Amino acid sequence: MSLAPGTKGRERLITAAVVVGVLALWYVAALLVQSGDDPLAASKLPYPHGVIEQIVDNRSVLAEAGWTTLKQALIGFAVGAVVGIFSSVVMAQAAWLEAGVIPFILAAQMIPMIALVPIAQNIFKNDDVTRIFIAAFITFFSVSIAVLRGLKSAPPPAYELMSSYNAGRAKTLRYLRLPAAVPMMFTGLRIAAPLSLVGSVLVDLSGAQSGLGYLMLAAITFGSEGAAVLWGAMIVLLALGFLMTQAVVLVERIVAPWQPDLRHGKA
Amino acid sequence: MTEAATAPHDHGPVQARPTAVAVRGVSKTFGNGASAVTALDDVSFDVPQGSFLSVLGPSGCGKSTLMRLVAGLQPASTGTIEVAGGTPDEMRRAREFGIVFQQPVLFDWRTVEQNVGLPLQIMGRPKGEARERVEHMLELVGLSDFRKHRPWQLSGGMQQRVSIARALTFAPPFLLMDEPFGALDMMTRERMQTELLSIWASNPGTTVIFITHSISEAVLLSDRIVVMSARPGRVLKVIDVDLPRPRTDETRDSKEFVDVEAEIRQLIFSQEGR
Ligand SMILES: Nc1ncnc2c1ncn2[C@@H]1O[C@H](COP(=O)(O)OP(=O)(O)OP(=O)(O)O)[C@@H](O)[C@H]1O
Ligand SMILES: [Mg+2]
Repeated sequence: MSLAPGTKGRERLITAAVVVGVLALWYVAALLVQSGDDPLAASKLPYPHGVIEQIVDNRSVLAEAGWTTLKQALIGFAVGAVVGIFSSVVMAQAAWLEAGVIPFILAAQMIPMIALVPIAQNIFKNDDVTRIFIAAFITFFSVSIAVLRGLKSAPPPAYELMSSYNAGRAKTLRYLRLPAAVPMMFTGLRIAAPLSLVGSVLVDLSGAQSGLGYLMLAAITFGSEGAAVLWGAMIVLLALGFLMTQAVVLVERIVAPWQPDLRHGKA
Repeated sequence: MTEAATAPHDHGPVQARPTAVAVRGVSKTFGNGASAVTALDDVSFDVPQGSFLSVLGPSGCGKSTLMRLVAGLQPASTGTIEVAGGTPDEMRRAREFGIVFQQPVLFDWRTVEQNVGLPLQIMGRPKGEARERVEHMLELVGLSDFRKHRPWQLSGGMQQRVSIARALTFAPPFLLMDEPFGALDMMTRERMQTELLSIWASNPGTTVIFITHSISEAVLLSDRIVVMSARPGRVLKVIDVDLPRPRTDETRDSKEFVDVEAEIRQLIFSQEGR
């Protein structure tokens, strides 16, 4: 259970306190690092205000790179979610299908992304398509496994109820299994949202010529100015991941407000 | 006991009506080998058309299992069950059974009215007709004001009433109820019993199989009571209850009611002693 209704304000306060605390820690750490006699200290850990200055100064570059990374992550996220939901519905139709497919899914999930990215780059020969593919690949696992679990989450009496109406496979899926799977689907999507972004950045980092990851790599080769850009890019990435997750949460609240941890008061 | 024909809700003497459900030598065993559990052992009884029959027995004696067999949700291990001249499975496919399960089994993603309308939607009934029907059922169980609520916003007793309304919406010829009032307090329970009787009276011809472990509940509601022993479930006795209808709260205090209740209690205790 999350906090009881009425504690929303307190929740926000705690979040704000954590942000302030992290910033304070950052200042202290940066102070410690830069108080030594290392001439390159500022390029390792700049002050937060320095980073923010850099973000403001480089906003158009950051925005363009962020959009490149985000756009492909979003497309990949959507593709992976649709394919994941569809394949879990197929798998849920028969035990032998699930037993046959799941090992391949688990095996595929073991492929290190670092290894997969160059392979995909070689196949697609296009950074955008590679980003979409990697984001979709990552999303697919979280979503398909979560939805598969959700499709099996209805209690046996609910199936007996459907059976007593002589509801066939299709109607049982439509009226019972799919709606029952919605909470797990959103859990999968919430996990996948930031991961798809990370997947997209991974392609940027692996020799792509654009995107947030590319900007990070490029910044490293600069001097102390670059460190702030690197940190700025990371903060933009963090913000995008946060926004994507929040978007999923928002959609969930609209689509499936009936779940125990989303309920408050009367409908 | 009394003149049968005088009461407006009386369907005539129970023995004289044709048999709607015939249970013949039914046994049910779960698992096999050393871990096999015999839930039902050689159970036989008849349910007359349009009557109210209760299955009365202690926890774990196989009452829910028996209901599942009659409803065609599980096959019997041995023996036969005939429902309206067919098999339980045929009758399930023909959507002859309205079932109220031991738990309400409501869908959280549907409002109260959507839950009640679920069977009609699955059966593809026209929307307008379905809406009217649902409206009527909600009125019958006294939940019209809660039609837009979600199941979790209702009390346990209200949830069970939604479940009863849902079972009745498509006017099934057979109503199977598995301890629907089991989770209720005594006062609510007695009110619901009288409500159920009046709902049943307004749906003439409906055959009810009602499962309970309360003796007084069985006596108040039933034309016939199948008294079962503890595991493995066997039929101790089939008792016809001739109390006049309509039965009301006053019936509970009548001498006849108390007598039948005492008879069943003695039957159960004498069996335990053996
Ligand atoms: N699916 C199953 N698999 C194995 N054993 C089962 C199954 N269903 C029921 N049983 C067993 O059958 C017996 C009867 O169970 P059942 O649920 O029919 O009892 P009941 O009379 O409805 O009890 P209660 O009044 O507590 O609801 C129990 O011993 C139970 O363990
Ligand atoms: Mg039971």
